[in-house]
Amino acid sequence: MMNLQKGKWRKTLREHWPLYMLSLPGLAALLLFSYIPMAGLYIVFERYTYQGGLFGSEFVGLKNFEFFFSNMENALRATRNTIVVNIFSIILTTVVAVSLAVFMNEIRRKWFKKVTQSVMFFPHFISWVVVGTIAITFLDEKKGILNKLLVSVGMDPVLWYSNPWLWWPLLVFFGIWKAAGFNSIIYFASITGFDTSYYEAATVDGATKWQQIAKITIPLLMPTIVILFLLAVGGILAGDITQILGLTNLNPMLLETTDNISTFVYRTALQNGQFESASAVQLYQSIVGFVLVMFSNWIVKRYDKEYALF
Amino acid sequence: MKIKSNDQDKVITLISYIAIALFSAVCLIPFIMVVSASFSNDQQVALHGFSLLPKGITTYTFQYLFESKGAMLLKSYGITLFTVVVGTLFSLAVTVSYAYVASVKEMKYASALSFIAWFTMVFSGGLLPWYILTTKYYHLHNNLWALFVPYAMNVFNMFLMRNFFKGLPQELAESAKIDGAGHFRIFFSIMMPLAQVGIVTITLFYALSYWNDFFLSLMLITDRNLYPVQLLLYNMMSNISFLTSGGGASDAFAQGASQVIIPTMTARMALTCITIGPIILVYPFAQRFFVKGITIGAVKG
Repeated sequence: MMNLQKGKWRKTLREHWPLYMLSLPGLAALLLFSYIPMAGLYIVFERYTYQGGLFGSEFVGLKNFEFFFSNMENALRATRNTIVVNIFSIILTTVVAVSLAVFMNEIRRKWFKKVTQSVMFFPHFISWVVVGTIAITFLDEKKGILNKLLVSVGMDPVLWYSNPWLWWPLLVFFGIWKAAGFNSIIYFASITGFDTSYYEAATVDGATKWQQIAKITIPLLMPTIVILFLLAVGGILAGDITQILGLTNLNPMLLETTDNISTFVYRTALQNGQFESASAVQLYQSIVGFVLVMFSNWIVKRYDKEYALF
Repeated sequence: MKIKSNDQDKVITLISYIAIALFSAVCLIPFIMVVSASFSNDQQVALHGFSLLPKGITTYTFQYLFESKGAMLLKSYGITLFTVVVGTLFSLAVTVSYAYVASVKEMKYASALSFIAWFTMVFSGGLLPWYILTTKYYHLHNNLWALFVPYAMNVFNMFLMRNFFKGLPQELAESAKIDGAGHFRIFFSIMMPLAQVGIVTITLFYALSYWNDFFLSLMLITDRNLYPVQLLLYNMMSNISFLTSGGGASDAFAQGASQVIIPTMTARMALTCITIGPIILVYPFAQRFFVKGITIGAVKG
């Protein structure tokens, strides 16, 4: 039996060695930048020192968690911010993207469709640093166009870059601005794929456009909406570090609402060298994030097997 | 009844046009603001604020940037171009070959490859171990390798490419095999040419993500000589002193002409224009591939 297995292996290896070779660089990349870092979560059980390194520092067991629990205000704040911003971004981006797709489907003039689509996709293709400078032209407290408009109608200027509580809506807004146009492609593509006979039959029966949208388009779109929504929910603990850096530049006055899990790890561990709480947060981001992905996928699977990730 | 429903339909159509036009305006106006600001007189902007149309049209800001920061800008542009070209080719080679093997049906190993890649999408060690490993162990710190090696393979692009390969007619590969072609031959001479559209799509995805990336440089680069354009822009946001100090050329410029006014507000905007300029140039060509790409990627294979 063993020999048979071995012989079979040797045969596939002889036959397919070029394929194994072709996959090696990719495997190496995944190993170096994804799998070894997973093992590196071992850091949570160590008192990390540069000399000791990831796998040779002093083992301290659950000590880091003690430190974490005695000092968890900021970590909890980071978790709260990550979840709040992600939940609202996911819900509102979906609503805006679906609406755009439905509206786009009513547009008949080709040039209008082409031009607006190009414009709507564009924000997806620029970096958060660029979005950050764009934001200044609107939000700068003295020179920004928003405060100038407010003052010109006799209202008080808003201190955008010093009031943290404006930044939950602002982060969500910028998230929508950057993603909704591009995400609407997926919904628009499924709408154009729908069987036209539904609409023909509805028109013959005298249904209005609004009725067609409410009774045909939206229900047919529902599976796609639910699935993309659930899959996005799986990533709810993944904070976008470049978004916060680009938009707020880690402005200390705004950290109350803009510090997410990734920026928290970046600030505490990489900038200040405090590895204890950062490593504990990192571990729960990874594990809870994993559980959330599995859970949302489990729901998707029950809803429609076809669409599950696995 | 009939007239009423027609009227209602017209309203829906009108609302659609208005909504789409409004959202497009919201997407477009910020860019106009930035371009206007970069062609404005800095003092006017300081006095009256930003506006939709340039105030006191001038190319002074650009002149200032090119003359005083020209060497630095050119260097950064060079670094960015290098990462875009070399990084894209590197990622492309790694991704396409991995994706091809993952698409071969006859091999059990193929599904293992898909699983190994997929698992990194659901579980991640996060920023901290990644950073320590990359800097301390792989020595990707303050060198050009650091700007592209960590992005060797994007799993999303890999699956997009795998789905593309899976959609190709497999009979061609099989008949070539019967004719005695080996795996390399099938891959390079048959499958790759057939997969051109997929390859162009992920090439553009990679090129744009390298152009826009400032995560890697922020994490791994502290040497000013290796700053890509995006990091230059980021640092400019965080300290205006970038404009007044640093880079030997600027000091000479400032000393040689003491009456020179440093355009603190408009310089950022001009640099932003310089940063997104090339994207705007390739955009009309690239756009249709992205639309194709995202629809292929969304279809599960």
